[in-house]
This record gives sequence, C-alpha cells and structure tokens, in this order.
Amino acid sequence: MSFLVPCPNCGRRSVYEFRFGGEVRQVPSLEATQAEWQNYRFNRTNAAGIQTEWWFHYFGCRQWLQAVRNTVSNEVLHAYLPGEKH
Amino acid sequence: MKFYFREKIVEAKQGDTIAAALYRNGQRIFSRSFKYHRPRGLLCVSGKCPNCLMNVDGVPNVRVCITPVCDGMKVSPQNAFPSLELDFLSITQRLDWLMPVGWYYKTFTHRMMWHVAEPTIRKVAGLGKVLSSENREYEHIWMHADTTVVGGGWAGLQAALDACGKGDQVVLVDDQSVLGGQARYRKSAGEVPADLIRRVESHPNVHILRDSSCFGLYEDYLLGILQRNPHPGALERLVHLRTGKVVVATGAYETPLLFPNNDLPGVMLSTGVLRLLHLYGVSPGKRAVIVGSSRAAEELSVELSGTTIEVVAALVPEQVVSAIGHGCVRGIRTLSSVIACDLIVVCGPRVPDVGLSAQAGGNLAWSEVHGAFLPSSLPPQVSVVGEANGEGVTGVGAHLPLSKRAFVCFCSDVSSQDLCDATAEGFDHIETLKRYTTATMGPCQGRMCQLSAIGVCAHETGRSTAETGVTTSRPPNPGVTLGALAGPRHHPIRRTPMHYSHEKLGAVWMDMSDWRRPRFYKTLPTSEEKECVLAEYHAVREGVGIIDVSTLGKLDLRGADCGKLLDKVYTHRFSDLRSGRVRYALMCDEGGIILDDGTIARLNDDRYFVTTTTGNLEFVHQWLEWYLVGTAWDVHIANVTAGYAAINVAGPNSRAVLGKLTDCDLASSAFPYMTCREAEVARIRVIMLRIGFVGETGWEIHCPAESAESLWNGLLQAGADYKIRPFGVEAQRLLRLEKRHVIVSVDTDALTNPYEADMSWAVKIDKPDFVGKAYLANAGADTSRERLIGFVLTGSGLPADGAAVVVDGKLAGRVTSSRYSPSQEKAVGLAWIKPAQAKEGACIDVRVDGKLVPAKVTMQPFYDPQGTRLRL
Repeated sequence: MSFLVPCPNCGRRSVYEFRFGGEVRQVPSLEATQAEWQNYRFNRTNAAGIQTEWWFHYFGCRQWLQAVRNTVSNEVLHAYLPGEKH
Repeated sequence: MKFYFREKIVEAKQGDTIAAALYRNGQRIFSRSFKYHRPRGLLCVSGKCPNCLMNVDGVPNVRVCITPVCDGMKVSPQNAFPSLELDFLSITQRLDWLMPVGWYYKTFTHRMMWHVAEPTIRKVAGLGKVLSSENREYEHIWMHADTTVVGGGWAGLQAALDACGKGDQVVLVDDQSVLGGQARYRKSAGEVPADLIRRVESHPNVHILRDSSCFGLYEDYLLGILQRNPHPGALERLVHLRTGKVVVATGAYETPLLFPNNDLPGVMLSTGVLRLLHLYGVSPGKRAVIVGSSRAAEELSVELSGTTIEVVAALVPEQVVSAIGHGCVRGIRTLSSVIACDLIVVCGPRVPDVGLSAQAGGNLAWSEVHGAFLPSSLPPQVSVVGEANGEGVTGVGAHLPLSKRAFVCFCSDVSSQDLCDATAEGFDHIETLKRYTTATMGPCQGRMCQLSAIGVCAHETGRSTAETGVTTSRPPNPGVTLGALAGPRHHPIRRTPMHYSHEKLGAVWMDMSDWRRPRFYKTLPTSEEKECVLAEYHAVREGVGIIDVSTLGKLDLRGADCGKLLDKVYTHRFSDLRSGRVRYALMCDEGGIILDDGTIARLNDDRYFVTTTTGNLEFVHQWLEWYLVGTAWDVHIANVTAGYAAINVAGPNSRAVLGKLTDCDLASSAFPYMTCREAEVARIRVIMLRIGFVGETGWEIHCPAESAESLWNGLLQAGADYKIRPFGVEAQRLLRLEKRHVIVSVDTDALTNPYEADMSWAVKIDKPDFVGKAYLANAGADTSRERLIGFVLTGSGLPADGAAVVVDGKLAGRVTSSRYSPSQEKAVGLAWIKPAQAKEGACIDVRVDGKLVPAKVTMQPFYDPQGTRLRL
C-alpha cells in the first residue's frame, strides 16, 4: 500500500500519514431495530470498486476527511472535508 | 586485502568481488544445488543467477559475485557437508528417480507424514541458515524525484541526461558499483564515452544510487530500492523513492542453454566470462569451447581475441550432446566427437529485463522479431528504453535440447524432463506449471529459467510461445532481506518531565504504551520490590505519597458547546456539571462496550479539562473529533498531554504538605471531594482536581511541563517532615484494587459493558442520546453473561492475573487483577464470573498454583467501603 491521499488541507500525502476510518455509512437512529444496529456494527459492504471512506490525517492537519477511493486500484479520486461535499 | 574463506586466508585485489578473488585463487565450486546437491560454479557473474550464494559475515544467501571484498570479512559456503568439493548429500542425485516432479504432493498424502519428514527435508534441502543473534544495522530513507531512471547503462545514462535537459530532478539507480552497463566489458556493445558518464555524474540535478536494486514499483509511483553497503555503519538501506516518471533501462540479461550437465562448474555464460576477464582481470579458463549461434560465437571470438583464453571450437547448440566432467568441466561431447576443454562459454538467448514495467501493471507480448517478451502497454508515467525494450535484441526464443536431462531451473533443480512430466500430468498452463514444479520461483525469480520453461511448455503442448504466455511479475524482485524491510532498531520512548528525578530516587522502570514509568522506587540497592511496594503503600495509607501521573492523556476543550459533545460521547451527563466540579467519565462504543475512562473537570462555563487513560489518548481525541464532524458546534479540542505534567498527592497528610505550598483553602468545606480549582502551588499556576483513585484524601495537580520537576521536588521537600514518599505504578495498582477501582482493558475487555462491570451509576440512560444508548437501553436489564466481582481469598496464596475461577468443580470465570491486600491481610482481587454467583458472600474457588483455594465474593470495595477517607 503506497498510494497518495489528496488532503484538502495539506495536498497529496502518503497514505501512511493517515488513519483509515472505514466506509462512510449512515449511523442508525435510536429508534432503529436491533437488526439494523447489528448490521451497522458488524457488517461491511467490502466493495470492490468505488467507495467513500473516512480518513483521519494523523500526521498532518489532524482533520477527518472523506475520500472517494477505488478499492481495486487504490486510486483516490478525490477527498474533501465532510460537509463541503462534491 | 585479505578475507577468510572457510577459515583460510584469501588474498584479494582492489576492486575484487568475493567471487573474483576466490576464482583467481582456484575455487571453482561455489555452491551446492538446492535439491540434488550438485556442484555449481560461477554462471552469470552479475548477481542474477543462484549459483554463488554464500554466507558472508553471518548473513546468509549473499551473492558473492557482486559483493565487494572488505578486509577481514568471513565467507563460508552453505548447504554443503562436509565441504563444497565433497558433499555427502550429493547422493540425492542418484535418488532422483525417487523424487519425480511434484514429489511433495505425491509422497506426503497424509499430514502426519509431512510432520515426520519435514525436519529432515529442511536439513537436506535449502539455502543458508538464518542466525537470529546477528547484530546488523539496516536503514530506511525517503526520497523524491521528478524522473527515476533504473539502469546505468548506455540507454539509462542518455535517459537521465534527457530528463535533466527538461529541468527534472533525476535519480539514477544502478545495481552495479560503476556506471556504464555492459559497455564496461563488451566491445561490441559500443563504448559509452567517458564523457557521457562524467556529464551524468557531475550534473547537479542527478542523484546516483549505486549498488542498488530496484525491486518494486508500487502505487502512485513509489519505487522500492535496496542499496547495499550505503556506508560502513549499515549493511543495507531501503530507499522509498516517490517519483513522477519512471524510465526502465534495465537492459537485457543472458540465459543458459539446455544440454545435459549444463550446470557443471566451468559452463559459464559469455557475459560472465567477459565480466571476469575485463572487470576483475581473472582468466576463467585456458581451453574454451563456445556454444551458441554462429553469429554470437563469432562476436564472442572477437571479444576473446588477445586474451589468455584459447578458443578450441565453436559449436551451435544443436551439435552439443552433453558437457563432461565431475565437479568441473573436462570436455564437451558433440554428435561426432569429444573435445577436451576446461571452459564452456554459453552464448544463450538474451532476455530483456522487463520485470519492473510488468509488475507496475504493464502488459507483455511476444515479439517474433526480437525473440523476447516486450512491453505492449505501460502505466502512464512509465517508459522502457534500450535493450529492455528490445533494442538490439535478436533471438529465436528458447533452445530446446536433444536430451531432457538438462537443468532449466538452477534454483530448485528442475530439469526439462520434470517440466515435460508435469505438462503430461496436466499442468500445462504456464502458471500452473510454475506452481507445480517451482521453476522460476527460486532466488533468481525466473531470470535464468523463465524463457526455457516457456519454451518447453510451448513445445510439449503444441502451442506457440505467444499463446503460452508469461507468468505474472510481482514485487519484490530481486528479493529483499527481512532486516531491510524491518529497518533500523528504533524504539522511541516518552519520558515524563520528572524522569531524571525518578532516576535519582532509584526508580525501577516499566513500559506503559510509549511511556516509561516508575514501577517502584528502590530505596536501597539491596531492597526488594515487595518491601518497597509495601512501604510505598503504607506511606499513602498512613502518611503521604506522591506519584507522577503525567502519562494520563489530557485534552483541553473550549467553546460553548463542549457539554453537548461530552454528553454525546460519554455515558454520564456533563452539560449540567457545575464549574469547579469533577465527574468520572466512561466512554462506550455504539455497542455499549467500554472504550475508555477518565475524569472530566469543568474549569468554567466554556472550558472542560478531560483526562484519558495513558494508552488511549490518541484514539479518544480522534473519536471526539469524529463526533464533531458536521455538527457546527462551538468546540475546540487541544491535546495538552505533553504540555502538562501531573502529580497525584495522596494520603491523610497530603493536605498538610500541600498547605505549605499554596494559599488555596484545602479544607473539605472549601475544596470538597470531586471538585477542581485553578490555583498556585509553589508559585506555579496549576489545575487541582480533588479526586481519589487510590482511596485517600488527595489532589491531582496538573502543571505546565516545564515547572513539573520544580513542583515535584518542592512537594518532596515540603513533605520531608511527614516522611513523604514517592510511589510507583505497582503500589498505585494495589491501592486502587483495594478500592475496587477498575482499570479499563485490564479488568475490562472487548465485550464488557458498564452494567456487567458494575458501573451502572456511570450511565445516564435517561439522556436523550449518547453513543451506545441503543444497545445499553436493552442490555441494561440483561446481565446474564458475566459480572465483575471482587473476591477475598479465605485460604492462603496469591492467584496470578488470569487465574481460573471454579464453582462446583466447573470453570466459572477468571481473575483479572489480584494482589495481597495489607489492609485485609489476605489476597483480594477482581474476577469475571457467572451472574449466579455474583452475590455478596457467595463462595467460589480460585486456582492458585494448581490448587483450588476458597474465596468469598464481595460487591463492595475491600477498603473503606463507604468512601469516607477520600472525603476527609
């Protein structure tokens, strides 16, 4: 694994500066069923292809980012601060 | 220069490699083969074949043909007993009929058989032995370049200058110690003008990495490069080179021809012969027979004219029956006669070295014109130049032998017969053939054998070479030592600001995540841990003690909405915490599992001071930041862990000692339990939290790191009249255990929720929302799994952490912490057990040193159950 993540604050940086935070997914509401919570906690899409992910720029700006990555080629298509979407 | 070979001194000349010096001194056998222990001599002399692997200064599998001699180095052969010339295990070549291709799969059909045979096979077959005790240094460095050129031959030098011309910063990687490629030893390659090399070497934009093998091209153009002997202090250096463009100029290498005994010492590739002659001034032999196409033979004759080598014959491969000799070449048998000679020079097919472009994702296609696989498509920023791209390479592909008893794969002794058998058995795809026979999988990674293997496979299956295709290239190639990947031995340690004061006080250290903390203080050199810990314990319970708790994670939260954030991520409520108050804080994940704990003090309306456990700081910080994302809340989190040191002053006399150093009113009426103040102690601005992890009156004082040592020593001085004593982690753990205070991740694990840990008081389930509520709202009623309880051992002994709890002869749980309690005069501890026994006074058994010892369950703290002492 050696790809670069285009941090919106710091520019293209080695992935080793970042901590992976998993796939971006909707947190279930308090009213959600046990099954929905279990699905959220234990199941992952594990997509082979384009996936939106959380990344924390640990050795950089120390901000949580969202990045759109192709999990097959490890190409990061773009990355942005959450809320400043697309 | 001198070095040792098998404990004998060998003389070497300046510029010699180990192999050149040994050859000059008459050594002909350099290794014994992997499986049959056949004698093997120098073949490629360029670090590409597996024939010269030796142990150098304790490092196994070193290619001695490219390793320069250092004065005094110790070289020894491997995989041969008792010596290279006489190897008892060469008997295995007489038993080859016992070991057909796929021998492992055919013989070890039952797992047990393999277990029985494995130790013997490991001894008999294989490469060098790893010595774990060896003291070697490896380095890592990171570099950047606009353009990286791999290969320092004619094409690479030109490419480097071209890139410089465009203003690029260039790194030139060459696996030899001198630039120039094959032009250094081959007249026909055309001379590289000394001027070209000088221009590259002196160009300010070129950085040259010599003796460096590029073993992989990874995502986003990261090149992995292994540099040998970068300086006397390091054996190898791993270069992480991030580059914009890559120019592959790795050239072409020569491969062997197939005929019986083609692996005899004395059968050498023509490039190997020329390298020995022209680079090291070593004559490889006296009477030589050249085997190769008539054009190649003619070219080579020109190269050899004027040297000490007499060419007695030139043969085309079709004429050769076999090489003759035992241990070294005595002659060559042709279809018509036997020619005596001591050297067979093989002009084998030249193979463009395209591995780097292929493993980067480029495709390869067979070119009839070149007789080679060449890149047909390349990743965007990769280009291939020179012989690697087929320039000047002509050939017809693999030469197929008359006899099938020729070695294709020198690394693992695979003959052409083996390949034919495997194909007949159905392994007729080049990828399955490779896996079944292990051809191309040895130390040379297919450099010597891939073309031949493809040729045999194509011939046996009746397909063309293009249809047969080529196996997938994967990094690393060439192989990389694990030491180089692991890098330097470097273990960073965090020290608290009082570290050297602890040292003077006789601290015995323990590691806690990155930090080093005093485990206890050895007051006299002769004193033992047990008595020191006990003395520290009594100081805190009866007098006063101080402990350095600087390793606690400390977060300073400011802003109007801090309460909202803390309410969300901690189970307790913090928005209603009044200024100047402190509350215990427990953090759970979405599943209600305990993640971390600490204390939260509200310093004023807009400022909270949060502590975390030592190891979890970074996690908690990221966790808080994550829950802030998208909220637009006014919260700013600063990690002040290194900025603040912290000292806990505890014990009945702590108020008296502190009172000497501060004007702050410390009376319980003015500064009660679970409150905080910003104050001055010993003229240092501090944050004081009145909390009691150890169960006595006490204050946790957070002060600026730079003043910590002065505060620590001030406290020791002020407390001298009260016999103040520093205490370490071990005493602290004993003190807290008597109070039944839980340590997260010691007494809890990855399945523990607060109800099970008997901490329901820390969960405000009526809060509208917090992390973990969805689960805890249901799990609150359900404690059917396990409960954390305290126990007092009624018998004698001390259970180990992790000891089994037994009820009615059945395993019923486990001990998480246990210590001898001076106040109870018995061993006490915490344990997870089934809920049925989790009742005050229930009887359980705990295993101590293999015996069951009875114990009583308690749900109360062992010491001061009402908590009156810490409120005094």
